Parts: sequence; structure tokens; C-alpha cells
Amino acid sequence: MTAREAILRGRDPIALFAHRASAAGAEVVEVTTQTWPADLLGSLRRRGVRTVALWDDPLLEPLRAALATDGVRVLTAAQQEASRLAEADAGVTTADWAVAETGSLVLACSPGRPRGTSLLPPLHVAVLPAGRIVSTLAELLARAAPVPSALTLVCGPSRTADIELTPVRGVHGPTAVWVYLLR
Amino acid sequence: MRVALFVTCLVDQLFPQVGEAAVAVLRRAGVEVTFPRGQTCCGQVAFNAGFWPEARPLARRLLRTFAAAEVVVAPGGSCVTMVRQYYPLLLREDPQAATAARALGRKTYELSQFLVDVLGCEDLGARFPYHVTYHPSCHALRGLGVRDQPLRLLRRVRDLHYCPLPEAEECCGFGGLFAVKFADLSAALLDAKVRAIEASGAEVVTAVEISCLAHIGGALRRRGSSIRALHLAEVLAAS
Amino acid sequence: MSAHPPPARIDFAANATRALADAALQQALSRCLSTFRRLRQEVVDEVADWEALRQRAQQIKMHTLAHLDTYLEQLEAQVTAAGGVVHWARDGREAAQTIAALVARTSGRTVVKSKSMTAEEVELNAALEATGCEVLETDLGEYVQRLAGEPPAHIIVPAVHRSRGAIARLLAERIPLPPQADAEQITRAVRRHLRQRFLSAQVGLSGVNFAVAETGTIVLVENEGNARMVTTLPRVHIALMGIDKVIPRLADLAVFLTLLPRSATGQRATSYVSLITGPRRPGEVDGPEELHLVIMDNGRSEIHADQELRESLACIRCGACLNVCPVFARSGGHAYASPYSGPIGAVLTPLLRGLDVAGDLPFASSLCGACAEVCPVKIDLPRLLVALRARVVARRGAPLLERLFVRAWTGAMAHPARLAVAGPLARWVHRLLLRRRLPLPYPLSAWTATRDLPLPPAAAFRQRWRG
Repeated sequence: MTAREAILRGRDPIALFAHRASAAGAEVVEVTTQTWPADLLGSLRRRGVRTVALWDDPLLEPLRAALATDGVRVLTAAQQEASRLAEADAGVTTADWAVAETGSLVLACSPGRPRGTSLLPPLHVAVLPAGRIVSTLAELLARAAPVPSALTLVCGPSRTADIELTPVRGVHGPTAVWVYLLR
Repeated sequence: MRVALFVTCLVDQLFPQVGEAAVAVLRRAGVEVTFPRGQTCCGQVAFNAGFWPEARPLARRLLRTFAAAEVVVAPGGSCVTMVRQYYPLLLREDPQAATAARALGRKTYELSQFLVDVLGCEDLGARFPYHVTYHPSCHALRGLGVRDQPLRLLRRVRDLHYCPLPEAEECCGFGGLFAVKFADLSAALLDAKVRAIEASGAEVVTAVEISCLAHIGGALRRRGSSIRALHLAEVLAAS
Repeated sequence: MSAHPPPARIDFAANATRALADAALQQALSRCLSTFRRLRQEVVDEVADWEALRQRAQQIKMHTLAHLDTYLEQLEAQVTAAGGVVHWARDGREAAQTIAALVARTSGRTVVKSKSMTAEEVELNAALEATGCEVLETDLGEYVQRLAGEPPAHIIVPAVHRSRGAIARLLAERIPLPPQADAEQITRAVRRHLRQRFLSAQVGLSGVNFAVAETGTIVLVENEGNARMVTTLPRVHIALMGIDKVIPRLADLAVFLTLLPRSATGQRATSYVSLITGPRRPGEVDGPEELHLVIMDNGRSEIHADQELRESLACIRCGACLNVCPVFARSGGHAYASPYSGPIGAVLTPLLRGLDVAGDLPFASSLCGACAEVCPVKIDLPRLLVALRARVVARRGAPLLERLFVRAWTGAMAHPARLAVAGPLARWVHRLLLRRRLPLPYPLSAWTATRDLPLPPAAAFRQRWRG
């Protein structure tokens, strides 16, 4: 183990992740496993969200139920062809892992988990159980095999500084990233 | 300890007072100084300009001249970098010479590095009542790791007021024939360096490299500035 | 026999002089580079074992280069096993042919493209457009540069030299934009415009930052999300890489993904890192149906065979050497007349395009070494530059005055006896000329354009030495 890994492991990976993801422009919300669907629903409603694309993931079932009761339109994975996804107001995914040292979410693609959910809508929400946070990229890559067709590391919103180095959020991907950190 | 002075060609021919200051400083530090008369030029100018066949005989001469020396000290970093880093490359087709080059490299030091790292001597009893800033020359800084040695020596000079140099580690734009082949670029780098020196509030700019100092000092004089460019050895020899 | 005239020699000194006279460019460069330097330093300082990581990265790269055939074969096998198709291209012409043929098999002619230095190197866009394709750059800065008909000016910030107003005026010809649009409004407008093109394009073309031999994984590092669009939406994804982009194992990525964003933009991580292994798998709802990897040589095998300069193939294109280079800070990228600029460009361009075309570039450095200090894979750039200089002089000689000067100098320094005559003589002439205010000979003539010279001393150190 290198000195760097030792130091990073010594820090609380959850706190480090939250700190660094926020520094990269993500909004990190610490929530409990009981209340998070209602919390998220409230925030989505305040944003005026009407269509939400969801990954097919058991973790997201309580949210799906809450959205349906509330009259928000839900796109299941099978309904997420690009043109419809591009019209959605938000994409909600889980994260397979997260990396504390960089503040990155890690999303593995599979049949119920399209790549576009976290890319095309202007808002990406990732639900992340705290136990999935690893300290370093090295730890992540040791767990990544066998590799999926697409493994995406997401650190904050899409951004550019191509015009006079002025930071602008939301170029081709989402303008906002919310991380619902389940403790 | 007996030190063989590698005076370097520019100091020898154009700035002898710097060589003499270096000798005075070394003697004050308690070492005996010799001057092997076989030395001429390390060949760096030709080497950097791409004239390797022309540089080789000069490198061989320097190797012979200092072969028997116990320790070699030069009032300049780039010539030491030339010996340490580039002689083995220049002479790689002659394994014997390349080995000799590595041996010489191991016992050759830049002056401030020798004083601080080898002798552990920081206070040379100097007194220099001026505001002084320090320009870290690129080869000494990055080639030899001469970073805080000159500052530690300056800190012990009586009545000297040290003025930090903004953007200190930026190149002054000398670079041998670079200054001539790309005169406009060199002048632009030099202009930024001179402005930084003026902004530091110093009356004297010092460095361990005479070529940078000639370059910087020449621009200061051209601008009619009253700031003087002096070699670190000259500051340390002052009393 | 080619009907084309031989390519023109790149006159770096003249290009740099033009750049120095462009006040807006100087200001933009200085602002951009000082920002990058500051951001880089902040995130490098927080990594306790940065030096060890650089060393590790260098080891991995040099090991890979020493076993390049093995790893390229493994990469081919793994990409194929994952359902991708590997194509080999000797040069840009072959790469363009391969890609054009793949586009021709689809029902569309539009290629949405994310940033690729390798594609720039072989002017792929022009070659593809000559076959009737439309190539659409989708990185914001690249999009701007393409509209302007100009190559990128910086590896990371392609339109670094353009003001917001100039960009807005350029874009307004294509996209509705409010007058006085700010960076945010410009970005929104380009997003809307390109979104439609992404949704309809049949082919996405990307570069490759790293290709992992062990798993056949293509890695793309970016901030805007356009590379994700290019590799997610179109039916066909084509990735172009030089043979130098392969790395052995997935675990090696931990090293490079730590070094690259910190070195390039001063970020701990870019917004997106995509690890793509084969095309869409059964049951998946998106991703390309076909994945093609074009592995291109374009002169790299020759560099690889050259033990002295092989190290230059370790470059991961972060741009850190540009950002700290005092020469680049004044000349800008276009002075190098190549997509590869700054210190690494001064090495790679002569190797890729020949010493006759780009032989001036290795001399365009004061050898200050700032580049080597920041290079995340520890490429010894000053050593590569001086080695190339020796080759240029051996091949095409040096300017007459320079040759005469070096010969005179090394001749006088050949023996102390000669120096004992030549030194005092030269100083006497020098003093005479200075006192009479007469023109000085080369190289002092150039020197005194901006600097004064002190009067040389009457006697040299060796004459004054009394042991």
C-alpha cells in the first residue's frame, strides 16, 4: 500500500467523498433509507419535474411508487430510447460504487441500466448507499472486473471552460447532479 | 579539503571578479583552492546548439583536467549540469570516457550547493547592506536541485534585506544561442523577468549563473535601471 | 511521383514574432496558463506520493513500449472477444479509408466527433469530407475552431486565443444567439444545436485516451459529455488510437486517471471517464450496435525503433508541459503549425513530419526544464530536445553565422594555449568596438538589440590567478 492510499484510507471515505463530490459541483444530500424517497420527491416537485427516467433497480422501487402516486410520468429502462430520454426532466440512477478520492460516482451499464439515463436529461440524480464508497481509484478498479460494456465515472455535472476559461455547467450532459447518500 | 576550481569559460574570460569572489568565499569556508590550468570550456554552448562532434573534444579536455581532483566546484549551475547529466550522453559511444564523465559528475558541485550541502557552511561572515532579490537559474534549480541553498546563504549575510522575487522560477530567457536564434521570444521572457525584479523592490539581483546575470544585467542597464546584477559569490565575498 | 510541392518548413521564429505582436493573444495565453498552473499545483500538492505515481506511470509506459507487439495483440484479441472490430492503419490515409468505408455502410453521412489529437495529426476531418462525409466536431472549443476553419490552438482549450465576443460573432452565423451573449448563453445555444445532431447521427467518432490490453477497454476522459454522446447514441462507434495508447492492465488506470486530470486541467477527476468494452450487449437499451477500433501507426513504429527518442511515445497528452513552458506562453500553439505544440510538440512534430519540415522546433526552447518537472510520465523533454538538435545539425547543418561562431568558439577553447591568444584578442577587439560604438559581430549583434554589454576586462581570470 502506498503512503497515499494509507492516508486516504485513514480518512473517513464517506466524508471525503461528500466533500470532493461537492467540490466538483455535485449536490450531496445525506438521507436515511426510510425518508429518502419522500425527500427526493419533494425536491423534484420543487424543480417542476414532470417526467423522470429511472433505472430498473430494486433500490429505486420506493421512489417509483412515490412518483406514480404523485402523477409524475416515469420512463422505465425499456422506454428510454434517446429521443424520449432527451425530453425527460430528470434521470435517476443508483451508483454501483463511488470513489472518495475523486468524488466520482461509478455507473455500470446493463440491461436495466441504460447509459443515457445519467446523460441526456438536464438533471441526474444518483442514489448511493454509503457502503458502496471505496477510498481510491485503485480499489475501484480491483472490483471492476468483469467489466461491463460501459463503466462511467461521473464527477459533478457536465462542464466546459472553453470560452475565456469561464466555467459553465451543462454542456452536453446534465447541468445538475444530485447525490442522495443513504446512511 | 582541497577544491579544484572549475571557473567556467564565461567567468574566466569576461567576469574574472566572479571567479575571484568564489575563491575568496571558498577560502573563508576553510578549503584550499587550486586552479587546474588545463581547463577551457565545458562545451555546453556547442552541445546545446546541436554541434556534438565539436563539443566532444572540449568535454574530453575537461575530463582530463579534473580527473585527479578530489572535489570540483564551479560558480555556475549549467556547466555542472552539463558535466553531470549530459557528458554521459555526449560521450556514450566511448564507454571509458562515459565512465570518467560519471565519476567527474559525482564529485562536481555548484558553489552554493557545495557550501551548504557538502561543507554545511552557511555563514561566511559577509556583510552586504542592500535590498537583494534572488533569481533561481533554471539549470541549477531543476538540473541540480539548487533551491534553498542560495537563500540559506543569503539569510546569514549581515544587513542584507531579502526581497522575494515574484514568479521566481520563470526562465529569464537566456538559453545560450536561444537568445540569438529566437531573439524576440528571449526578449519577451527577459522583459517579464526584469519587471518582476523591479517589482521586488531590490537594489541588487543575484543568481548563481553568470549567463543569466549578464542577460538580466544587460537589460537592466539598457532600461537605465539602477538595480545591479551580481553573482552570489560576489555578495558572499562582500564585507 | 507526387504532384504536391514539398511541405513548407515551419518557421517558428517568424511565427512567434507574429504571436508576440498580438496583444489579445498574449493576454489570453497569460490568463489561461496562469490559471492552469495554479489549479494544477493545488491538486498535485494534495497527493502525498505524486513523485512515486509519476515514476510508476513512467515504468508502466516504458514497459508497455518494450513489449508493444504483445500488448497490441492482446488488445486486439480482447476487443474482438468483447464484440468489437479492430482495424489496423499504417497512416492517416489508411485510417481515413477505413473510417470512410464504415460510414458508407450506414444510411447517414454525418459523423459526430469528439476530440482526438490523433485525428488532428492526420487531418482526418478533411480526408473524410473529401469522401463526402460531414464531420461535426462536438467539443465546444473544437466546434468553434472548425467554424473558423482553424486547427485547435491548445490541447485542452482549443479556442484559447478567442474572446467571448469573437466566439459569439462566429457562432451567430449558424446558431441564433442574443447579441452580447455570455459564455453560459453561448454554451446553451450550442448544446441545443448539437443535441439534435447527436440524436440523428449514425456514426460517432472518438479518440482514445487509454486502451487496456487485458480487457479490451477503451477509455475516454472528458468534461463536456460529448464523448459520452458520441459513444452512446449513434448506431456505430469508431474509435481512433495511435499504437502508443495501449496500457497493459485495468489496474494501471488507477495511476493514469490520477495523473491525467490533475496535470491537464487541475481537476481531481474530469466530469466523465468512460470505460467502454465492446458494443451494446444483449438486452441493453442503448449504446452502439457496432464498435470499431482503428489502431494507427503513422510513423510511431519508426519512433519506437529509435531507442534514444522512444520515450516520446509515453506522452499521455495532458498539456502540462505546454502550460508551464515560457516559450509556449508567448508563441501560442499555432506557431508550432502542428496539433502537438509546446515542448512535446517540439519533439513529436519533427519525428512525425520530418526534420526538414519541423527541424526548427527543437531549438525553440531555452531548455529551462519546467516541462520535465511537471510531465506526469517523466519524459525527459530537454534531453529529447538536445538529441534532436544534434540530428538536425548533422542532417541539414546550421545557419552559416552560427556554424562559424561555434567553430571559432570550440577552436579557441580546444587548448589553453589557443585560449591564451584568442581570449585577450577577442576582448581587445570587443573593447575597441564598444568604445567606438561600432557594430558588434554575431552573436553579440543580436544580443545587444535589447541588452547592453559590459566592457570586457583587460585580463582573464587565468591571467590574474596567482594560486
